[in-house]
Amino acid sequence: MGRYVIRRLLQAIPVLLGSTFLIFCTVYALPGDPVMILGGERRIDPVLAAQLREQYGLNDPLIVQYWNYISGVFVGDFGETFQGVQVADLFAGKFQVTIQLAVTALIIEALVGLGLGLYAALRRGRWQDHAVLALTLLLVSVPTLVSGFVLQLVLGVKLKTELGIDFFPISGTEAGWRSFLVPGFVLAGTSIAYLVRLTRTSLMETLRADYIRTAVAKGMPRSRVLGRHALRNSLIPLVTYLGADLGTLMGGAVITEAIFNLNGIGQQLFQSVARRENAVVVGVVTVLVLVYLLANLIVDLLYAVLDPRIRYE
Amino acid sequence: MRVTKGARIVAGTALLAVAVAACGGGGGGTATNDGGGSSAQPVRVDIAKPQHELSPTNTNDTSGAEVLNALFVGLVDYDKDKNVILRGAESIEPDAESKMWTIKLKDGYKFHNGEAVTAKSYVDAWNAAAYGPNVQEGGHFFSAVKGYEDVAPVDPDGEEGPQKAPEPKAKTLSGLKVVDEKTFTVELAHPYSGFKTMLGYTTFMPMPSAAFDGNGGIKREFGENPIGNGPFKMAKPFKLATDTTISMVRYDEFVEGKAKIDAVEFKISSDKGTSWNELRAGNLDIMDQLPPEAIATAKQELGDRYIEQPSSGVGYFGFNARNGEEWAKNPELRKAVSMAIDRKTITEQVFSGTRVPADDFVSPIVAGYRKGACVECVYDPAKAKALWDKNGGGKGPVSLSYNGDGGHKEWIEAAANNLRQNLGVEVKVDAFESFAAILDELDKGKVTGGFRMAWIMDYPSMENYLRPIFGTGGSSNHGRYSNKDFDELLVKGDSAKSDEEGVKFYQQAGDMLVKDMPYIPVYFYQTNAGYSQRVKNVTIDPFERIDLAKVERVS
Repeated sequence: MGRYVIRRLLQAIPVLLGSTFLIFCTVYALPGDPVMILGGERRIDPVLAAQLREQYGLNDPLIVQYWNYISGVFVGDFGETFQGVQVADLFAGKFQVTIQLAVTALIIEALVGLGLGLYAALRRGRWQDHAVLALTLLLVSVPTLVSGFVLQLVLGVKLKTELGIDFFPISGTEAGWRSFLVPGFVLAGTSIAYLVRLTRTSLMETLRADYIRTAVAKGMPRSRVLGRHALRNSLIPLVTYLGADLGTLMGGAVITEAIFNLNGIGQQLFQSVARRENAVVVGVVTVLVLVYLLANLIVDLLYAVLDPRIRYE
Repeated sequence: MRVTKGARIVAGTALLAVAVAACGGGGGGTATNDGGGSSAQPVRVDIAKPQHELSPTNTNDTSGAEVLNALFVGLVDYDKDKNVILRGAESIEPDAESKMWTIKLKDGYKFHNGEAVTAKSYVDAWNAAAYGPNVQEGGHFFSAVKGYEDVAPVDPDGEEGPQKAPEPKAKTLSGLKVVDEKTFTVELAHPYSGFKTMLGYTTFMPMPSAAFDGNGGIKREFGENPIGNGPFKMAKPFKLATDTTISMVRYDEFVEGKAKIDAVEFKISSDKGTSWNELRAGNLDIMDQLPPEAIATAKQELGDRYIEQPSSGVGYFGFNARNGEEWAKNPELRKAVSMAIDRKTITEQVFSGTRVPADDFVSPIVAGYRKGACVECVYDPAKAKALWDKNGGGKGPVSLSYNGDGGHKEWIEAAANNLRQNLGVEVKVDAFESFAAILDELDKGKVTGGFRMAWIMDYPSMENYLRPIFGTGGSSNHGRYSNKDFDELLVKGDSAKSDEEGVKFYQQAGDMLVKDMPYIPVYFYQTNAGYSQRVKNVTIDPFERIDLAKVERVS
């Protein structure tokens, strides 16, 4: 068991090195000169441009630039942005926001997704089932940009100005955990729909299994049949999905973060790609790769908890 | 159940870790309440994220300038008619040829730490901005001052070359001299009658001795917690990387009189649509730029509290007249293109009225702008077609290039359609992935036809719309227009005895542009601002900065 975990963690090292190098190359290969981009619509003074290039080692070949970066990372120096901000400082506050958003989204996704899926599976073929399926179609087809602004207008502006209920803030993080409810739901939207459908199908399949019929036949209480036998055996695909989704929710929140003015990593990543800030982009990717690897490890370990037949040596 | 005990423990711990991380995060967000607790809420102003830390020497973006304008007061300001008025300066006098300027300061201005504003405060700040190795955004503003090439030397073999830029010969500008406590002189490299108009920008503001590191540079902490001489002072330091608000309180000893409001909070937002919702819900007081989609609703909902005024930007089509397509080299054909573009429809439909049709090469906000100066900027499809055919315009293809990262696609396509319909030519539209990429290609002379270009002024003078873009060797002369007579008129304007006389020469230079049409002006940018019911007296200057000292609360 312990050896298995250690082996998995060691495997993460080459994955990390490889992925950071790939990303470094990709950003390097993007057209446009980072120093000129820094100037935006204005022309940067040639003297200033030459100095900036020198300062950030942009005249060095790719492999030297990568080595400069990665050797810094080993001693805990994540480099600095073109604005002279330490990347490590930049991450401290932003990952906190992003993690809060992603975890809120994941909780909402798990509660709503599993709940509705379970409900639909139990009412199979009836109108409630069809209603839930229609709802998932709606969730999948409305883009984040639309659902974000509509919910912001309805729950943030109208609820406050028309009814005087000031519960959902429009944007920002001043209101603590409440700030993340609406963005969390918007971010989880599509995932909720998939999870509902996955839960429904998975559970319906299990409910048809022989051992469920046996359990019902021997007079076991319905709740115990459902919880102990049906749900537990349906959970493996769902846990896999949820685990993989955590990484997606953390890395893919660019639009949601922008709409709700959350100062998180998604927006930072977007800006940094536009500015060709390799140090930031690679840093973010490193952390996201770690999140993916850890989430997958947890999921794999959960398999053993859910299904006793699976064991790791 | 034969789950191995180890697996349970590990999985459990991992889940716990995730939960703890989530909770730990929760604490941080709630901590920011309304700290001060003195009187009402501060006046909340929407801004985009400043590009750099808050130092006058390193600020060249509208958001940064907006924030610094509340903290600092410079030598001059501009009145409603965009004329220069003295503020920190008692007098600014040129010599006979407008080359040597003597600046006298008013008494009474103090920095927030009690230090008096002296001639040295200005000279030191300007030297720090200009000194090449300090890498300050504002540096190029001082290229007009004598000795600039000694403090910021040019790389001998160009940007791409292997040689480094040489070490600067001097640490300070030889053209700046402190005469006494309240007087200093500025010697320019060339005569320039409009020098006074430059001085209102953020780069020219004074800085206290606490800002400097003793080595000609600026302390890093100063940019986080700047000490100014203006109506407001920082309430707490601002960390650019992570903070989302900038808080200021009133500086009670401000010599021009206390500001009307006691506190200001700048809120950094990432999406103007969201900020607009915040304004409607009463969580925000002033927005200096509304999103285009909100303009119609804003006019209705805000009424008097909606502001619409010209800003300094001009949008153009430029042409590669040097080695581009045949049509781009012929001024008559360029005029035909200009007359074939329906500016009114483009500004109204594509930009929802946030831009207005251009009718001169300079923005309406500078002195010397003449309404309708560009006669061929008026939409006239019949005349355009006749002119095009008469000069052998043919079937094209006409190529139009633009940068795809700036929201320009719609209006470029609209203009392309105008040309197709009105001139009967084939039009090819090329999108470059970024503005930087199009500049690269322009430098190499590889953009063949027309290209989108825009200009935002550095200082409110006609000259700033002419020399950098159309002067021979100008820093932004992407069309490589070169006209000796034009250059001479600019020099005459620079050495004129007064602003008014200078403007006359600049206008003559403008007329040459109308004749040659090296670029065609398409639209002027506008400021579309709005404010809440809780404030009044909101005014916005040519640099799109709000005059916060005049803003009042509605009680």
